[in-house]
Amino acid sequence: MAAAEGAGGRESLWALLGRTPLSLRIGAAILIVHIVLAATGPFWIPYGYSQMGAGMPLAPASLAHPFGIDQLGRDVFSRVMYGGHIVLILSLSGTALGLVAGSLIGLWSGYVGGLLDSLVQRLLEVLISVPFLVMALLAMVAAGPELSGNPFLVVLVVALVYAPRIARMARSAAIEIATRDFVTIARLRGESAWSVMRRELLPNATSVLLVEFALRAGYAPVLVGSLGFLGFGLRPPTPEWGLMIAENRSLLLIAPATVLGPGLALASLVVGLNLFTEGLARILGRTVKLGVQQ
Amino acid sequence: MTKLVEVEDLTLSYRAGASLTRVLHGVTFHIDRGEVLGLVGESGCGKSTVGLALLGYRYNSAVIERGRIMFDGGDLLQLDQAALARIRGDRIGFVPQNPTTALNPSMRVGQQLAETLILHGRCRDTAAAARRTTELFDLVGLPQPGRILRRYPHELSGGQQQRVCIAMAIACDPDLIVLDEPTTGLDVTTQEQIIALLVDLRARLGTSMLYVTHDLGLLAQIADRVGVMYAGSLVEVAANRTLFAGPRHPYTQGLIASVPRIDDPDGIGQRPLKGLLQRGELPPGCPFAPRCDYAEAACAQAPQRLEPVKGNHVVACRRWRDIARHHEGEGRARRPARHIETAASLLHAEGLTLAYGVRHGLLGRLFPGKPSLVVRNLDLDIAPGEVFALVGESGSGKSTVARAVSGLLKPTAGSIRLNGKALAPLVGERSRDERRDIQYIFQNPDASLNPRARVGTILARPLAMFGSGGGMREAIAAALADVRLDQSYAGRYPDELSGGERQRVAIARALIAQPSLLLCDEILSALDVSVQASIIELLRKLRAERDVAMLFISHDLSVVRTLADRVGVLFRGVVMEAGTVEKIFSPPFHPYTLSLLEAVPRIDSEPRSDFLKTDSAAEQPDGKGCAFAGRCPWQLGDICREQPPPWRQPDRGLGIRCHLPLDELRGIARRSDIPASKGAVS
Repeated sequence: MAAAEGAGGRESLWALLGRTPLSLRIGAAILIVHIVLAATGPFWIPYGYSQMGAGMPLAPASLAHPFGIDQLGRDVFSRVMYGGHIVLILSLSGTALGLVAGSLIGLWSGYVGGLLDSLVQRLLEVLISVPFLVMALLAMVAAGPELSGNPFLVVLVVALVYAPRIARMARSAAIEIATRDFVTIARLRGESAWSVMRRELLPNATSVLLVEFALRAGYAPVLVGSLGFLGFGLRPPTPEWGLMIAENRSLLLIAPATVLGPGLALASLVVGLNLFTEGLARILGRTVKLGVQQ
Repeated sequence: MTKLVEVEDLTLSYRAGASLTRVLHGVTFHIDRGEVLGLVGESGCGKSTVGLALLGYRYNSAVIERGRIMFDGGDLLQLDQAALARIRGDRIGFVPQNPTTALNPSMRVGQQLAETLILHGRCRDTAAAARRTTELFDLVGLPQPGRILRRYPHELSGGQQQRVCIAMAIACDPDLIVLDEPTTGLDVTTQEQIIALLVDLRARLGTSMLYVTHDLGLLAQIADRVGVMYAGSLVEVAANRTLFAGPRHPYTQGLIASVPRIDDPDGIGQRPLKGLLQRGELPPGCPFAPRCDYAEAACAQAPQRLEPVKGNHVVACRRWRDIARHHEGEGRARRPARHIETAASLLHAEGLTLAYGVRHGLLGRLFPGKPSLVVRNLDLDIAPGEVFALVGESGSGKSTVARAVSGLLKPTAGSIRLNGKALAPLVGERSRDERRDIQYIFQNPDASLNPRARVGTILARPLAMFGSGGGMREAIAAALADVRLDQSYAGRYPDELSGGERQRVAIARALIAQPSLLLCDEILSALDVSVQASIIELLRKLRAERDVAMLFISHDLSVVRTLADRVGVLFRGVVMEAGTVEKIFSPPFHPYTLSLLEAVPRIDSEPRSDFLKTDSAAEQPDGKGCAFAGRCPWQLGDICREQPPPWRQPDRGLGIRCHLPLDELRGIARRSDIPASKGAVS
């Protein structure tokens, strides 16, 4: 009787894991496989990513070459494995940059309000209304030919696409938090806008921003891939997945594995990231709800 | 009388993860036909859970371990959902705490009531339902019922919304009505009207009620019997008079002593309840033992059963015979009457006019918009170290004054001076010292403390801004000690603290800046009565120890009486009466002050029902005359509505804004039943 009351206490890590949503667990498993492969791939792949003569060009998939051989005689499987870390790093750092810039702009704009906020918001709306590929193209043109194919440019484009969208989320969070009394107290104390943002707004917006980061990161590999596919991204022979799909797309009927391989890698990464995000959002949503009820 | 409801050994737990938290421990009670049973206790004691259980409702995570709820011979716990749905609303009515969320905002109120009537087969068609709805609205004292039933909820005042909810609860002539804190969100004058309505309905319909509340004073007016709950157990049940005259359980005694008494401002804090309810650390025996003055080792061992004292007075305390009857505090030191000479003035506001929705700048000059005037031509004077209380119902502009003083709202007209120097209207233009001098404490500590910052961090910010150097850690420890908190609290997050502890932290944050004026905006109204008592105690000590003035904003006259030096009574942004606390609480009264005083529920008073039909929303909009004219029972006629009333000063230290001659005002007071104040000097 009394045991039922006092029970609870500290749960083991496993019990805690058992209560997480299934989507989070599946998503995390897929992500872990991807990260492990991306981190170790360059060290164990049987052929170099640009090594020609790995087999008969356009040979079908086999045990030795699971994704077949491309036109130039390169092992597609080795290229996909090697390219994993490139895709991951580009996507995550682009999203992270977008998150930092977006949250700064959004929190500030939401807290300051007034005319400045309206101006910033209209500007962001203009940026959001430009389709992402057009935006990417504009950025490439603006950067000039000498920067073309530079990975930093890809990161910058991803950030440029995401920052306005993240800024809007951060702004709405800031507006909500800024109405709470502790922010009023800080204002009465005479804190600067920067101090209020850092000490009062940001800590209370973390769950919103975390979900936002995961959500955007889930789509970033597609962005990076699309850039590569259209030739705005990295240059050959970099084994970036989108670029590989573009290079091999004419072989779709002759050697389908060379397209399906990188396609599968890209798709599974995106699915994994999205499942993970969905679970994460549900956890954060749940804890927030619990907090309200108490 | 036969028993309508019999609850036997009801034991209920909430499931949280894999573990169960027990919230009701073998609760046993009954309600006779036509009887009103009150359930009272601090928040979290399980009183609302009992109320909901009587409706056969429980949260998804609730598990009923044992017990029966017999309603008119059948066990509610054995019924399926369909059978329960037939009983609810038909034989058992429910009045919720918050009518604003209980009513569907997108449906006309008449339609919502008709829905209930038709669903339970009380009316065949909509025409019949509309007729019945009109009758019901008339019964609950809604003016012009035929018109009200076509209104949407947001077009009604809070009191009117609650009347609609009550009409809905009684629509099908239920045998029982469960009321869950039905007046908690309402103003004191509205609350009185609702209580009068319930007393009246009960006399006419003879319905049984279960009235769940935290307010003992209310139960004194409406309940036949009162059950006191503590930590999920009933600890004492007795007839109304018996309980208030001779409470036996130490918890009941402490609870009654915690209620601020308007007729006994110094009585509070004489027998305060120690500590707090901590669910995790309850002993297997009496749950109150850790906080009890009379506890012995044996108390914590064996569970206490309700045993009869006399008649139907039962108490769950094995030592009730040993505990001396609730002794009146004798020979206590009376609060020294403080007379602060107004030679020096700390805060001086003159001709303050405040409005929301004012546009500034060029745009404002071209398109002035429609600002809503909240405070008109207000003068305010607070001496150093003085506690000035501003009272009034919600919407009277009390908090708006505090916002203007703090620099959050720019006055439309008038000036505010601090120590003789004019203050800039907005906080951004004030100097560091001016900002330090005025500190704001908000009503709700949940919202005023950053949930992601530790208490130490929260206290460190004002120190960093205003501190005069010296050890940060020591200063924080000292600030926590000032509000009677241990210094280990510095490492905790706000959600690890109780409501009262959070408010203490908020007070400490204001004090650590060494202000000369504290703006206390309803800082007690979000707290439980026993916690309230301890915070009042703290504020009184602080007032004695430090030379800090307070602008104390409250709607609770009893609290004001225990704390304030001077009081201003605000109605619709106009000061109706102002003066020292003794003079405010003794005749002559302004008619509005009188109505506020009469509305305060008192433990030893009979309910009144002559306020039934006056509704606070049925008033004229502001005109040239007296703001209170629409509601004043003693108004003289046109003069009140047309001409602004004069400011009369019947006595040194008292001012009244009224057309009525002073002798008449004294006469009004004599006719009313305001208790001759025990401690008043007058």
